[in-house]
Amino acid sequence: MSSTTRKNVSKVPKTPTRGRKDQRQPLTPSLSNALSQLQLSNNDGHRSTSPSMQTTLGGNDADASINPFLETSVPLGQSLKTTAIFGTSSRAPGSRPGSRPGSRAGSRPGSRTGSRPGSPNKRSKSVSGAKNTVNLYGMETKLDVIDLSEWPSNKKEKDASSKDPTPRKRAKSQTSARPRSTADEYGDRYFMERNPHANVLSMTPPQSGSQGSSPAHMSRLASAANVDPNGRILTFHQPPPASTADPMLAAQRTHVAPLYANERAGTSASGSGTSGSSTNAAKARRLPTQPERVLDAPGILDDYYLNLLSWSSRNELAVGLEDNTYVWKASTGAASHLAECPEGKWVTALDWSADGSFLAIGLSNGDVELWDPEAEKKLRTMSGHQAQVGSLSWNNHILSSGCQDGSIWHHDVRVARHHQGTLLGHVAEVCGLKWRADGLLLASGGNDNVVNIWDGRTGDADGEQRTAKWTKRNHTAAVKALAWCPWQDSLLATGGGTGDATVHFWNTNTGARTASLTTPAQVTSIQFTPLAKEFMTTHGYPTNSVMVHSYPSLTKIGEIKDAHDSRVLYSSISPQGDVVVTGAGDENVKFWKLWEVPPKKPKHAAKGSTSHVLTLR
Amino acid sequence: MQQQAQKTKQISLKGSTAIVTDFFKFATNTILYQRGVYPADDFHLVKKYGQTVMLTEDAALVNYLDKILKQVNEWLLKGNVTQLVLVLLSKDTRTPLERWVFDVDLVRSADDKVLPDEAKPEAEIQKEIRHIIKQIVASVTFLPLVYEPMVFNILVYTKDSAEIPEKEWLDTDPMAIEAGMSQQVKLRSFSTDYHRIGAMVDYRYEG
Repeated sequence: MSSTTRKNVSKVPKTPTRGRKDQRQPLTPSLSNALSQLQLSNNDGHRSTSPSMQTTLGGNDADASINPFLETSVPLGQSLKTTAIFGTSSRAPGSRPGSRPGSRAGSRPGSRTGSRPGSPNKRSKSVSGAKNTVNLYGMETKLDVIDLSEWPSNKKEKDASSKDPTPRKRAKSQTSARPRSTADEYGDRYFMERNPHANVLSMTPPQSGSQGSSPAHMSRLASAANVDPNGRILTFHQPPPASTADPMLAAQRTHVAPLYANERAGTSASGSGTSGSSTNAAKARRLPTQPERVLDAPGILDDYYLNLLSWSSRNELAVGLEDNTYVWKASTGAASHLAECPEGKWVTALDWSADGSFLAIGLSNGDVELWDPEAEKKLRTMSGHQAQVGSLSWNNHILSSGCQDGSIWHHDVRVARHHQGTLLGHVAEVCGLKWRADGLLLASGGNDNVVNIWDGRTGDADGEQRTAKWTKRNHTAAVKALAWCPWQDSLLATGGGTGDATVHFWNTNTGARTASLTTPAQVTSIQFTPLAKEFMTTHGYPTNSVMVHSYPSLTKIGEIKDAHDSRVLYSSISPQGDVVVTGAGDENVKFWKLWEVPPKKPKHAAKGSTSHVLTLR
Repeated sequence: MQQQAQKTKQISLKGSTAIVTDFFKFATNTILYQRGVYPADDFHLVKKYGQTVMLTEDAALVNYLDKILKQVNEWLLKGNVTQLVLVLLSKDTRTPLERWVFDVDLVRSADDKVLPDEAKPEAEIQKEIRHIIKQIVASVTFLPLVYEPMVFNILVYTKDSAEIPEKEWLDTDPMAIEAGMSQQVKLRSFSTDYHRIGAMVDYRYEG
């Protein structure tokens, strides 16, 4: 090695001793902080001019002096370099390696100097050459000053100096250009094993281009920050539209938000909890490509606005074929002709009462007939509607009928004056009508693209103008498909017609739309199954399909494409919930076994007990 | 034949501008959705750049963005835009919380007759754009959570020479985040034969 190195080495013994002495001194918290910060820096622990190298720590008030100092008190040519380097180093941590080094540097050199204690003091000392020029808080320490002249970016220079150490450089070594070799040999004062290169990696090297804060630098900064001094910053004259233009809706939203979040979390939790296996298994489930059974249904009308299939709790399926109504007993497979309507009228809607002992038949002239399938006779005719009754729904003894004129009537089938109430919420044909199982809410969908949810409890008083609890206008086509969720009371699914083809899910307690599902075609009906967290939808042109989706994830579990030769219009679910029957204008009624009825639990229990007994013996 | 094939692949400045404008539209929508500036209800999924992107359905917002992008498109064609910034501000205090900065560099001017050696394939551009959009989506992982309602503003940095429609566009301050409180993350960039778009997010972080 060169003589310089040797000379430096010879001075080494001095340094560690002093270092140890420093460490024995009681450290105040601020001092220890400063120490830890010192350790971060590339301190090689070597001091060639120990007596003059003293600094005070924790000098926050020294920060303010940085910039003035840089600019004013650099009269000595020799110290110019030092100050420049310090100016750079104080900025270094503030700027990021990759992104626009100078963009913020200009305005913040003062803000971080706390982490680089002593540099101003050192500067003042090195400039004036005096010892202890700044002694803050009366706390003078003999700690070494960080010497950042060892920055890797200056390495070339340093290497050059170590290879060719001119006397001038040696004289200056106390300020900036100390040979690198010493640093390599003696490492960090506090981390004796530290590899100086490790430091290099952890610290941001100062950008060699940004020295000082001269006007030239500022202009470079400006260019780096992409601020064109000649450019303009423009904005559109209008402010952007508010996030919710409709204040009512916004209020509703904010009101509903927490409930909505909880409810969502709740359903997903319960969904995965109770039916985890079924939904998980369902992901890869195959749907039958062939129907389990096909019934011939000659003359079944191909009309979207009718509801011509109904499956009772007694396992009887009623089908309306033009002017005739047939009942097919699923248990025996026998079909019987139940009713024929008067000349020139046809069946437009069918619905079984909850116990399956009465069948309501809506007719094209507005009459609603009540039939007893067991006795195969008509019990009564309830007339009054002026146009066809496209939808019917029972709630105990109340039969609600949706008419083409947009009105919904409640008929009390027990009394002579059957017309108990009118709900006016649609301006076009009511094609979907469903009571919730508990009879508290009634959902109706109309050809006016509106979904209304009515409170079933409010008043029996006739003539009172009732308004819907919720009116939803999100659909963009007629709403025929309506379904209440059997496992979650408040959940209603509604599906729109050709122009919409969307299924919306509503929380009928809060009125919030919880989810939406876009489907490839007109939604003609929706059925929830009680057997799984799934529902099926039937579709019209072009897919003519039956689809099964999971809820609440809304993932498609399967699709039976072209389930019928024409659009699938009607559907009903079996009382057990495993089979769905669909009807279409192709004069077929098809039964699809979409779900499996799980084996009965009592059986399991019995098995378990016997096996238990056996093992005991 | 080779030359012919290459020429067909070349996009014009107009095409490049359209790509850039389109990107701004989807990036803006993605940011507005991801940062919750507008309720998630207002957005629907569309396929774009080989992935699904959220696009607003709010007619007023669509209209507003269209108006801005139409003008930006015009400026882009003339090479007058240097930067496009989407600023998210607190609705109540109007303090800027996030700035999404898109630098626009015109790599090659329209009348530059020298064709580049090889035109950048469309798929490549789309891939780069997809990466930016994905980064925007992913940025919610490091951006601070904002609980207060936000509004946005679009700033367009133009050259002095740009023609500015009177009364429609106004000079404004940059709505910068104070230097001491901002963190910046550089995102990816993409380039066409004419433009180079850099992306960066600058957010307020007082931690």
